Amino acid sequence: MTTNPLHTDELVVVTQGLTKHFGDFVAVADFDLEVTAGSIVALLGPNGAGKTTIVRMLATLTEPTQGKATVCGYDVVRNADAVRSVLSLTGQFAALEDNLTAQENLLLMARLRGYSRGPARRIVEGLIDRFDIGEFRDKLIKSVSGGQRRRVDLAASLVVQPRILVLDEPTTGLDPRSRQVVWSTIRDLVARGVTLFLTTQYLEEADALADHIVLIDHGRATAAGTPNELKARIGDQRVDVIAVDATGLDKLIDSLSANFELAIARERRMVSIPAPNDLADLNLVTAAVSGLGSLVDEIALRRPTLDDAFLALTGQSPDTVRASSDVEEAQV
Amino acid sequence: MSTLALSHVTRAAGETLPARPARIQRFTRETALLVGRGLRTIPRVPTRLSDVTIQPLVFTLLFLYVFGSAIHIPHMSYQNYLLPGLIGQSLAFGVIGAGVATATDFNSGVVDRFRSLPVTRLSVITAQVVGQILEQILGIAIVAGMGLALGWRPHMSPWGLLELVLLILLGLSAFTWFGVLMGMIVKSSDAMQGIGFAIVFPLSFLAGTFVPISGMKAVPRVIGEWDPLSALVAAIRSVTQGTPAQGSWQLEHPVVSMVGWCFLIIAICVPLALRKFRQSS
Repeated sequence: MTTNPLHTDELVVVTQGLTKHFGDFVAVADFDLEVTAGSIVALLGPNGAGKTTIVRMLATLTEPTQGKATVCGYDVVRNADAVRSVLSLTGQFAALEDNLTAQENLLLMARLRGYSRGPARRIVEGLIDRFDIGEFRDKLIKSVSGGQRRRVDLAASLVVQPRILVLDEPTTGLDPRSRQVVWSTIRDLVARGVTLFLTTQYLEEADALADHIVLIDHGRATAAGTPNELKARIGDQRVDVIAVDATGLDKLIDSLSANFELAIARERRMVSIPAPNDLADLNLVTAAVSGLGSLVDEIALRRPTLDDAFLALTGQSPDTVRASSDVEEAQV
Repeated sequence: MSTLALSHVTRAAGETLPARPARIQRFTRETALLVGRGLRTIPRVPTRLSDVTIQPLVFTLLFLYVFGSAIHIPHMSYQNYLLPGLIGQSLAFGVIGAGVATATDFNSGVVDRFRSLPVTRLSVITAQVVGQILEQILGIAIVAGMGLALGWRPHMSPWGLLELVLLILLGLSAFTWFGVLMGMIVKSSDAMQGIGFAIVFPLSFLAGTFVPISGMKAVPRVIGEWDPLSALVAAIRSVTQGTPAQGSWQLEHPVVSMVGWCFLIIAICVPLALRKFRQSS
C-alpha cells in the first residue's frame, strides 16, 4: 500500500445509485462510490461482476441506465467531453494498434491530444524512457510480449497526466514478473499525485496496491473497507486438505470436524480450515489426519483467495454458478 | 465546457497542453490523424488488401477468358460489357470490406480508446469511412487498369469521365457507410464476412455484372431488375459505354436510379451509424 502525499478530501469520483441494464440483464445495480483525490481504490470481484461496466460508464463509453456519476465534478453524460479530458482509461485488453510500432502508437496518442509534431515527439521520448520501452520501440505491437504491451498501453494513457487514471484489470493474463513491473509503475504514478481507480480479480493485487477496496458481485457492492479491515474480517491463511476420493473425504470430515471449523467443497474433495497461527495450525491439522495418510491427496497452507473473501464477507461464493461454488459451511 | 476541463490537465512531461482550437478544426485534424493511422498499417497487412486487389483480378481473368468465351453480348465486346460490371461489383464488395474492418477495429479496443479521449467522436467514425473509401479506390483503380490492358475500351467524353468519378465516389460513400453500420451491428468480423458474402455475392451476380439480366429466367430476372446493384452496374456501363440496359424503370434510367439508391442508403445509414456509434457499449 502506498500513501500519497497529495491525498486530500476532494472527491474525484462520485457515483450515486449507478445502474446499468443490458436488456433484462442487470449488469450494475445501485452502485455508490466515492473516490478522494490521491487515493487508490480497487474494485474487486470475479469475472462478470460488473467491474468493466462501471469503468466504461466512468470513462463515458457507455451511458448509465439510472443514477449518476461525476468525475472531478463533471457529469459523465451531460459533460462527457470534460470528463474525457481529466480521466484516462487503460482498458482490459491493450487498446493499441497492432500494426503500428510502440513509438507510432504513442505518437498518435500525443497528436490526438492536440500536440504538434515537435512537442509530441518530446513527450513520447519521455514516456519511452519512463516505461522502459526503448528496446522495443520500433517493433510492431503485435510482435511484443504481453507485459511490454501493457507498458505501452499505460504510457499511452499518460501522454497527458490525467487527474484520475482508471485501470481495468491491469495485470490479468500477465506473468508474475510483468505483474511486478506494472505494480511498481502504478505505485510510481500515485507518488506523482494521480488518483487511481482499478479493477481486479485478485485479492492479492487489491491488497498490494489499494488503500480502499470495494467488493462487487452481480453488479452490487457487497462489502468495502481498507485492506486491513477486510482482512480482519476474511480471516487469515487456511489449510486445505484434499482427499483421494469421496469416501476418503467423508472419513476426513468425521475425524476433523470435532476439533476444527471446516468449510467443505465436495466437488474438489476438499475441506478448508482457518489457520490464524500459520504453521502451528498446519501441524495441528497434519497431526489430526496422520492416521489417515492414505486418504489424503494433498495438504497445503494457502493465502485466502477471492472465493474465501466473498465467503467470509458476504456469506456466499462470488458466483453461485461456478463449479467451485459447492462450498457449504459445516460448523460443528 | 472544455475550457473548464483544461485547468485540470497538468504537467504533460513538461509540455503545456495546446489550447483547443474550434470544433471544426479539431475534427479535420483528428480525422486526418486517424486516417493516417489506417493508411500506415496497409503495407504491413498485405492480406487485408487482397479483397480489393487479388479478388477482382481473379474475377476479371476468370470471366474474360473462361466464361467469356461462352457469353455473347450483341453489338459489343465482352471486355466492354464486363469491366463496368466488375467496377460495380468492386463497389458492392466494399460493403464487406468496410464491415469486416469496422468489426475488427471495434473489437480490438482501439476504437474505445479513441472514444475515451477528448477527440470529436465524429472524427473517429469519419476516419473509418474515409480510410475504407481510399482502400476501395485503390482496388477499383487496379481493376480498371487491368481492364484497359486487356482490351476494355470505354467511350467517354471528359465530362463522362468526371461523371464516372463522381458516381463511383458517391457509390463508395453509400456502400461504405452501409458496411460500417453493418460492422457495428454484427460486431464479429467472421460473421460479417459470412453474412456480407452471402448477401452481396449473389446480388452482384444477379445485377447484370457478367451476363445481361434480360436473358435470365423469370425469378432472377425480376430480382435483378430491381436489385440496387443492378442500377449501380447499369449506371457505370451507361456512362463508360453509352449503352443503357432494358427491363425495368431503374435499368432504363440507371444514373438517376443509382444516385437515388445511394442517397437513400446514405440518408438511412449515416444517422443510424452515428447513433449506434454514440451509444455502442
